[in-house]
This record gives sequence, structure tokens and C-alpha cells, in this order.
Amino acid sequence: MSAIRTDRYVEEARRGIADPVLRRALAGLQERFGRGTAEAYRRLPEGPGLRQTAHAIREKAIAHLDILLERLARRIRENGGEVFFAATAEEAVAHCAGIARRLGVKIAVKGKSMVTEEIGLNAALAAHGVEVVETDLGEYIVQLAGETPSHIIAPAIHKTRNEIADLFAQHLGIPRTTDPPRLTHAARRALREKFLAADMGISGVNLACAETGHISTVSNEGNIRMATTLARVHVAFMGMERIVARLDEYEIILRLLCRGASVQDIGTYVSFIGGPRRPGESDGPEEFHLVVVDNGRSRMLADPRFREMLCCIRCAACLNVCPVYGRIGGHAYGFAYSGPVGAVVTPLLTGIRRGRDLCLGETLCGACKDACSMDIDLPRMLLELRAILAEGDPGWGVEPSGGLERQVWKLWEGLVSRPALYERALQAGAVLQRLLPRTPAGWIRRLPPPFSGWTKSRDFPPVAAEPFRRRFAKRRKEADRG
Amino acid sequence: MAEHREETLFFQTLRRALGHPPNAARPAGDLFPAEPSAEERRLLARVSGRSEREREELVSRLAAAARPLHLEVQALDDLAAARDAVLRLVAEKSPEWGGEKQLVAWSHPLIESLGLAEPLARQGIPLHLTRPVDPALDAAAADEERRRQRSRIAASFIGITAADFCLAETATVVLRNRPGEPRSVALLPSIHVALVPRSRILADMKELFALLRWEERFRTEGLSNYLSFISGPSKTADIEATMVHGAHGPREMVVFLVPG
Repeated sequence: MSAIRTDRYVEEARRGIADPVLRRALAGLQERFGRGTAEAYRRLPEGPGLRQTAHAIREKAIAHLDILLERLARRIRENGGEVFFAATAEEAVAHCAGIARRLGVKIAVKGKSMVTEEIGLNAALAAHGVEVVETDLGEYIVQLAGETPSHIIAPAIHKTRNEIADLFAQHLGIPRTTDPPRLTHAARRALREKFLAADMGISGVNLACAETGHISTVSNEGNIRMATTLARVHVAFMGMERIVARLDEYEIILRLLCRGASVQDIGTYVSFIGGPRRPGESDGPEEFHLVVVDNGRSRMLADPRFREMLCCIRCAACLNVCPVYGRIGGHAYGFAYSGPVGAVVTPLLTGIRRGRDLCLGETLCGACKDACSMDIDLPRMLLELRAILAEGDPGWGVEPSGGLERQVWKLWEGLVSRPALYERALQAGAVLQRLLPRTPAGWIRRLPPPFSGWTKSRDFPPVAAEPFRRRFAKRRKEADRG
Repeated sequence: MAEHREETLFFQTLRRALGHPPNAARPAGDLFPAEPSAEERRLLARVSGRSEREREELVSRLAAAARPLHLEVQALDDLAAARDAVLRLVAEKSPEWGGEKQLVAWSHPLIESLGLAEPLARQGIPLHLTRPVDPALDAAAADEERRRQRSRIAASFIGITAADFCLAETATVVLRNRPGEPRSVALLPSIHVALVPRSRILADMKELFALLRWEERFRTEGLSNYLSFISGPSKTADIEATMVHGAHGPREMVVFLVPG
């Protein structure tokens, strides 16, 4: 497993909010992709309802996951490939390291893959003496900078051209330039050498098709095609849920993936890989290995509240509309997955209590559900997670939340269910609030403990001089008279 | 498979999570139908019954879809015109990585029928054809042959392939890989030229998948071990969202539509 830093959410979020460059980059991204994706769904020949169709396809695939994975593995093996099923991140990583050791791999080139970020593959291979080179331009920039991706599709969205100029001047030995075409060309040249020298190509899997026995990868740069063509061995990693039964279903999911990810009708390169090169072929890998990763997914599968999350294809459309992600950026989420998808998946994969800030940090505004290419109800699952945090859940190893909050809510419950008492409390509040510091507009600037958290970064509305219920009754009386 | 302990455990966990008995493989039921659906039958009929005029419409749709992708589409009347178009490219463009002008092309009947070898030889420009690796070669000799082919492909500034299909809707060239048709010809050279016979233009992915699933002629080969969709030159917008063509793959791509 890669490093989990979800407990630093608040601190990292603050840092993100305070970074004007990041905010501007994220605003630009959301402006373009957020709107563009909604428009792209509307323009679908089948209409935006295709997302519901896709949801049904994914649910069916998840319900038959054992059958689909067996079929996929059988077809790939028939075609000369190998398939390994890994229950944990450690097993997946060890398997890949074993292949690297057996073949004496020195350089591995990698396509962008979130599941390999999740399982911490790079660090593990590096520990075995393998130089792992990220080849997606954004990932490459992030790797040179010694950072982690901050967006699933646009990993280097947080880097400015000035920072990239410095990085490339330092690492690639080119004269400093801030011109994106020149910077891209410098990376193209440097990475071409790596591609031609690499012994191992590593990729993720966007979606597999069980019927034909193929995995598929999507990229605009062509780096995944390079990595999976030129090296002697190709190792592909897939989360066990990334599969559909048939090609006609695949077609629907792929179209939505490209629209959700980058407002495209189709990515520049879509490759379907069913096995290694065949006799007589002069390129393509000699060995093809597929590693299917569980790593906590079967727990989500077993819980009807969270099974829906396995429909996700990591298109990142939810990041591009999320008001929280748009302010705090991807690093705050402390793990491979950021934004609304991260707020649900990360706690489920790495511990709900540990990742509590992620699901508490989202606003439940619902924009992610509307943007989701697979029409997944993320807000519902955020609520489920919050309920688990409050009430505890032995199945997920979560204790009920602490006594004070519980007691305050109990008090609140008692108050709002007794109108007379409630009114009395409000009257008391209206008097007591005179002691509290106010803003010029009359809002309460600071509440006393245990409510002080509410006013840490915002003001609190004062109790109205005349309670609503009384005003309502008065108005009604006036209306009846008039 | 008993020898894969991890695999047995993996599937036990999976079936248990799904609420099924952990040790019994479940039947596939109707997950993988043996007959085309009504919709697929309609698609197959549409493809086989497509008139010349409808095909021309597809060509215009293809051209329209290609434009924003930076993909050049040229409709050519005959093979001689296609040959001249390739020669024009050779004359106009220069190698990105320096060195002599060299071309690489699949050993494919359509490409060989262009007659490029002679005019290129007159100009002293090498044209490499990627022959299948002879199965009679021993491992070391086969490796050597593959290395030789790869260095030629990497040294070429134009790579010529012949598409299995082309999808008008998304301006997508569809390549299946076979011996003699290596995938890197469409990848390592800076300019990718794809020849597309007009009869292989389809409307979209739906039609393609219906053919690959059910049409006898295409079904046997299926997707092959490596099927690629290529929709324009390689590109990236990873630096401050500025679009740049030529990230890793070809920075230019041209589709020549030819009769047939």
C-alpha cells in the first residue's frame, strides 16, 4: 500500500486554499471540463439517459464479477498471457517484483495507472533496484518533482509552467524555457530513450471485456501504447471491478469514460490487449501479465451500502465539478484518489475512521452525482459513511463517535421535539447572544465551546428577535383578516 | 486451478462477498449470448446494405470529425494518386530526429501495390518493409531480426500502415496486428500515414463491434491480441492545459482514402 496521509486532510486543505496558483488552475480546469462534460452528455445520440444505461451495465457486471473474471482469465491464458489474482496490495506488488527479478529488469516504463498508485508499486520496484519511469507527461513532471498526482486525469494540474521550466532545466539539461511545446518536446526526447531502453512496460486497465478476453487502455499521448509495445514484458494492473461482459456494453462505457474524463468523443489511443505478441510478429511484448487486484474491494462488494462504488471507472468527472476539490486540490485527500470519488473510496480502502475528514469535508451538494459518467450516487455513500462514523459499525471496525457530540445531539433532539421548551431556549439564546462578539452586519463572530468549531472559519447567524413560529402565526392572522 | 492457491482464495472471497457459495463456479447463463441481438442484426444489415451515396456521406462525416483532431484526411481517386501523395509528404517533411530520410511500411498487399519502392529508390531514400519474423529462425536469430526491424522503424520519419477499418463518427483508424504488420510503425515514426480502403469505412464503434462479434469474415480473427483505435496524432495538455501535438507518438497523422 502506498503512504496514507488522510489524517493530514485539514492541514493540507488549508495549504491548498491558501495557494492562489492552485486555485486559479483548478478553477480553469473546472470551468472547461465541468461545463464541457455536462454538454457532452447532452449531445449523446441516446441523450444523457445513457448514464443510467451504463450504471445498469456496470451493476450487472459487478453482480457477475466472478463469472466475468474467470472468463477473462481463461481467454487471456488461451492467448498466451498470464493472469494473477492478488488479494492485497502486497501480493500484487510482490508478483510484479518477482517478474522483474526473473527477467533481470532494470528500467520499467509506466503508463498512468491509479491502482498502481494505490498499491504503491513504484516504491516497491525501486526497492528491488528497478528504475521506474512515469511516462504520462503530467506524471513524469510530478515524478521529477518528487510529488504525487493531484488529479486523476491531470496529475500535474498544480504545477505552473515556471516550475516545470525549472524542473526540466535541472533534470533534462535543457536551456530554461516556459514554452509548453518546447517543454513537451524535451520530455518527448528524454522519454523516447527510456521507452527504447526499457525491459518492462507497466500499465493500468481502463476497462476489460470478458467475452473477448481483452483489457483496454486509453491515452491521448500514446505513452501507454509505447510502454506496452516496446518492452519485453508488459504487466497490466486492474482493480478487479474494471470489467464488463461484452463488447456492445464496453462501447457504451468507453464513450462515457472519454466524455467524463476529458470531454472527448474518444481518446486518441484506445488499445485492446488480449495477450503477448504472436509467432511471426516483430514487436509487442514476449510476455503479458495481468494482475487483478482486490485490496479491499471485496469488502465494498459485500456491503450493499457501498457495492455501487464498484461501478466507478475513475473518469474523474466528479473532480471537475466538486466545489471542495476545486478549493483544496487533490493532495489534501492524502491518497491516490481525490475529489468526491476519493472521499468515498479512500476511507473504504484505507479505514473509515482514519479517512473521516475526507467524507466530512464534502458538502453533499450533489454536483458529483450529476457529473458522474456512471451515474453513481456519491452523496448517498458520503452520508452512509457519516452515519457509520456517528453510530459505529463493527463490520468496518468503527466505534461510535465520542460522547460529547452524541449528548449535544440528544439535547437538541429533546429540544426540537418540545415546542414550548424550544421557544424558551430560543428566548434565552436571544438574551445570551448579546454577550457574544458580533460582525458589523450583526452575525455572531465566535460561539463558546463546545460550539466554537462552527465559528472557526465563518460567522454564525444570530437568533432572530422574533421567532419564526410567532411571525408566521402573526402573518397568517393578518392574511385571514385581510 | 489447484496450483494457484491465491486464485482459489481470491474467488472464494469474491463469491462470498456476492452472497454465493464460495467453492462452486457459477454458470455464465445468458451473459455471453450466442446470437446477435435485434439491434446488432440491424447494424449488420446497415453495413452490408450501405449504398455508394451513404458511403460518401460517411466520408464527409469522417472529414468533419478529423478536422478538430488535427488529423488530415485525403480522399484519393486511385493508387497512383496515393503514391504521389506519399511522395509529396516525403519531399515536404523533414526528419524530426535528424539524419537521413527513411520510410517504413507494413508488408501489406495494399501498400506494396502503391509502387513506392521504385520512385523512392531513385531519390536514394530507403523504404523498409516489415516482413514477418521467420518461424524457422532460432531464438537468437529471431531476436536479432526483431532488433534490426525495430531500429529501422525507429529511424524512419514516416510510417505507413493499412487500416482494417475506419470509423467516421470519431475519425478513428482501426488496426489489428499480424505478423508483418508491427504496431510500432504507427508509433515510432513522427508521421503516421494510414491507408484506408473506402469499403472499410464504418459509421461508428457500434458497427465495428457488431462486425467483429458476428460477421464470419472478421469474427475468426476477432480483436487479435492487439487491436488499436487511433484518432489523430499523439497529444497532451498536461502543461497548463496548453494543447501540444506530438507527446510520445506521431506528431502528425494522415489518412489516405483509397478505392477498394
